[in-house]
Amino acid sequence: MTTHELEALLLQQPVALLHRLARGRISRHFRSGKRKLVDLLLQASAENRPGLESDLLALIDERTSREQATPASKPRPAAPHTRPAPPQAGQRPHKAEEHGHHEPPVSLHEWLSGLGVPSPQPFVPDTWQVEALARLAETDVVVSVPTGSGKTYVAIEATKRAMQDNRTVIYTSPLKALSNTKFTEFSRLFGPGQVGILTGDRREHAQAPLLIMTTEILRNLLYDAAGGEIDVRLDTLGLVIMDESQYLADPERGVVWEETLIFCPAQARLLLLSASIGNPQDIADWLTAIRPTPCSLIRHTKRSVPLRAGYLHPNEKLTPLFRTAGIPYGQPYLLHPEAKRLFAEYEEETGSSRSR
Amino acid sequence: MPPSIHPVDLVATLRQRHLTPAIIFLTSRRACDEAMQSFERSQVTLPKTQQEQIARVLAQVIEQYPSIAEHPLIETVQRIGVAAHHAGHLPSWKIAVEELMRTGSLDAVFATTTLAAGVDFPARTVVVTQSSIRKARDFTDLTASEIQQLAGRAGRRGKDLVGFAVITPSPYIDLTVLTKGLTGQPEAIHSQFVITYPMVLNLLKAHPREQIQSILAKSFAQFQLNQRTAVLETKLDGLRAEMEPFGPRVCSDWITQWQVFEQARKRKKPRSPFAKQESPEIAARMHFLTPGRVVGLVRGRGIILRQYRSKGQHAPMVTLLREGGSLNECPASIVTQVFDRTFDCEEASSYPWCTAQSLDQLTHHLADLPPRLPILPILTHQNEEAPLDSSIVQTLGDFACPTCPSRQACQRDFPRASRVRQEIQRHMKSIQALQTSLWHRFQERIDVLERFGYLNAQAQLTADGEWARLIRIDHSLLITELIRAEAFGAIDPPLLAAVMASIAHDDDRPGSFPRGSAGLVTLLFQVRKLAESLAPHETPPMLRADVAALTERWVADQALTWIGLARLTTMAEGDMFRLFARTIEFLSQLKTLKSTHPSLAESAEKAIAAMRRGVLEELP
Repeated sequence: MTTHELEALLLQQPVALLHRLARGRISRHFRSGKRKLVDLLLQASAENRPGLESDLLALIDERTSREQATPASKPRPAAPHTRPAPPQAGQRPHKAEEHGHHEPPVSLHEWLSGLGVPSPQPFVPDTWQVEALARLAETDVVVSVPTGSGKTYVAIEATKRAMQDNRTVIYTSPLKALSNTKFTEFSRLFGPGQVGILTGDRREHAQAPLLIMTTEILRNLLYDAAGGEIDVRLDTLGLVIMDESQYLADPERGVVWEETLIFCPAQARLLLLSASIGNPQDIADWLTAIRPTPCSLIRHTKRSVPLRAGYLHPNEKLTPLFRTAGIPYGQPYLLHPEAKRLFAEYEEETGSSRSR
Repeated sequence: MPPSIHPVDLVATLRQRHLTPAIIFLTSRRACDEAMQSFERSQVTLPKTQQEQIARVLAQVIEQYPSIAEHPLIETVQRIGVAAHHAGHLPSWKIAVEELMRTGSLDAVFATTTLAAGVDFPARTVVVTQSSIRKARDFTDLTASEIQQLAGRAGRRGKDLVGFAVITPSPYIDLTVLTKGLTGQPEAIHSQFVITYPMVLNLLKAHPREQIQSILAKSFAQFQLNQRTAVLETKLDGLRAEMEPFGPRVCSDWITQWQVFEQARKRKKPRSPFAKQESPEIAARMHFLTPGRVVGLVRGRGIILRQYRSKGQHAPMVTLLREGGSLNECPASIVTQVFDRTFDCEEASSYPWCTAQSLDQLTHHLADLPPRLPILPILTHQNEEAPLDSSIVQTLGDFACPTCPSRQACQRDFPRASRVRQEIQRHMKSIQALQTSLWHRFQERIDVLERFGYLNAQAQLTADGEWARLIRIDHSLLITELIRAEAFGAIDPPLLAAVMASIAHDDDRPGSFPRGSAGLVTLLFQVRKLAESLAPHETPPMLRADVAALTERWVADQALTWIGLARLTTMAEGDMFRLFARTIEFLSQLKTLKSTHPSLAESAEKAIAAMRRGVLEELP
């Protein structure tokens, strides 16, 4: 392939593909427009032209195979013969045809239509919340649900149940600020005398049945207990709730979560509350392997309040971001044509002004 | 087109579309503050009822945290219904903003993306303006988990039917990262298990060394390592199956046999003529042929001016000053004797390879030389030829291979078989490493602690280890070593607090402060020296003198108010608060050493008491 051929081929590709190609080759590649990006790509891989070529071909292959796979996996018997002829090579294919989506993109009016305040309804716990509480009676529980799904409800109910059995509950959070918020919130709920907070050197109501602390403090308590300095609170400990337990993967502090979980007394139940993570099953399996009680996983990905994504142009024009009103999970390419056009325009203009 | 939408217009658009309350995530604290300033200039004001509601909520929060009452932003927030929420603010102010959001009194909050987990309040709409965040001085793309964490704040349960995540472009935005993050699966998490010194001390306090390995085996790190091991083992099984057809032949280990045979055959081949080696005599002599050396030649004597290699043949050459003053370039073999006499020679980089002055001097010296000179005896190492040749085999006649019946098969299969065998060995090594890596790292830590005297040879805690295990914070080794070096002998609380602050503070945001006292400067110098000497075992802290001086002032000068302190520095209030909170945490660890180091513990206690005033008293 000559440089000219390569350049021509690069220019035929959509910008998204070029960005993928530029990753690792050009820093801040998203700052430049298409033309500039192609130039930069050719410049950056002057020494390694074959590497660029093979990567480019691989990306094109991947793209075409996906285009072929998508319509095949989603047959649309209603209009099989109306599908337009495959786009000419070199011509930029229209995304909607590419992915076999024939519904018109959602309009701004439709997109905004759900907006509003729901009529007040009596609180009914979600199924996953009920299930988590039921499982907690038998096993340890790992909860991995999207942000804002109502993890706190599970924590509160579980705490109530443990307190009825005269067991101590420890609630840990990663940040002191969150501990403080929870302390205020739980004090309001359970009564001020029932909730204690432990920080580095300050202890308030240290003998209360519900103790809030950062994970580091709990780890230190467990160290002391292992070293022979028995803390009375650990004897009656019935439940340990670890909020934001995705901190397990924090580069600096993750180790503290691991230590706490390893040394957590056997008689205490564990309730791990985490935002959505990719491998919650691993955590549940791990806890089952190291603790005498098995560990169940409660996981769901559906948000309790549905989410919609929009695009707001600097000229104050608002459009939906995706063709569908909701988020098209697993299909990031289903961009709304209007949003796509506006963003391309934005990149074009700011890209050129920035490259001056 | 502007590079990004103006904050005032942004909020106006959101209001007009009924998309408020909204959280607007911006790149930096400064961007948040600038957004707020642009509102201060704008003419927008809220209706009276909403202003009153904000005042009501604020009054409630002020009751609990009186320090907010004088916050300079209160007026703006009340007038425009918009606030900023980032780590530069005091925790009490952030609580106030969160409370305002929870009660739905504000229309928008500008927040930084960096601490999405710290933003614990929902809104109807979340606005995202960037696709990457600053992590450890570098910009990295947001992960799917992070994007979902941000977007997750949109949509309040019971207050909204739907939540909105709105992307508005700014420079440095990559739309693909955001759309993929919104529609994709969150990333899997990986263990970040590290073995710290306090962990080693505390584990060894409770368990004998023999049990440690089984405790480490319980970690999530080991669980994930085992998963990788399992993958490797399946691969290993595959490789072993691939190895099957290459079983024993005439010799049981034909791969090794063939490899050695091949090596020996290659060595037998004559070397290329260019690699000709000079004789050992000349090689040994070369070391002495330095500029200024007097040497004996086939005829007469001379002084070496330089030594070099000829261009084509790479032969050893010298430039000589001969009797009579002539300069010659000759092969080194022309030198027959090396005399035990050298003269000073000022070298130069071009002909005649020394300065004119020293050439003059050398010519004189050469003429004045006595007829007899002591000769340097030069030892030559006879024949240092590679010993491998003889150790492997003298002749190829020792190998059975050339006449072996399976020779053809061996020759054909060798490349593949040896590659597979190497793969197998590599996999076995990695499996071995995965299974024992944690334990090895633990043992390394044990060795260090033993060398410093916190553990004895049986890995039991010494007297020093017994108290050192109570220091369970970052830089624990530095702190315990400082205590052992009696750097804190009879230290004043302000000085102690200042040193702990400089150890505790790990933020590199610049700030400017008054200078510390002379005592503090000396002490910090000592601390820095010790920290550098510990660097192979523990990453040294930043030890910023400015934060130390600030802490010293706060502890020493009890009349100093928080606002007065804030005026002394360019540091944000939130950073100051975090610095002091962390310092108190570190000091409280020193307080636990009451039984072994009573004076230090007392000093720490006093320092804590002195630090805890003003806003630091408000929060538990």
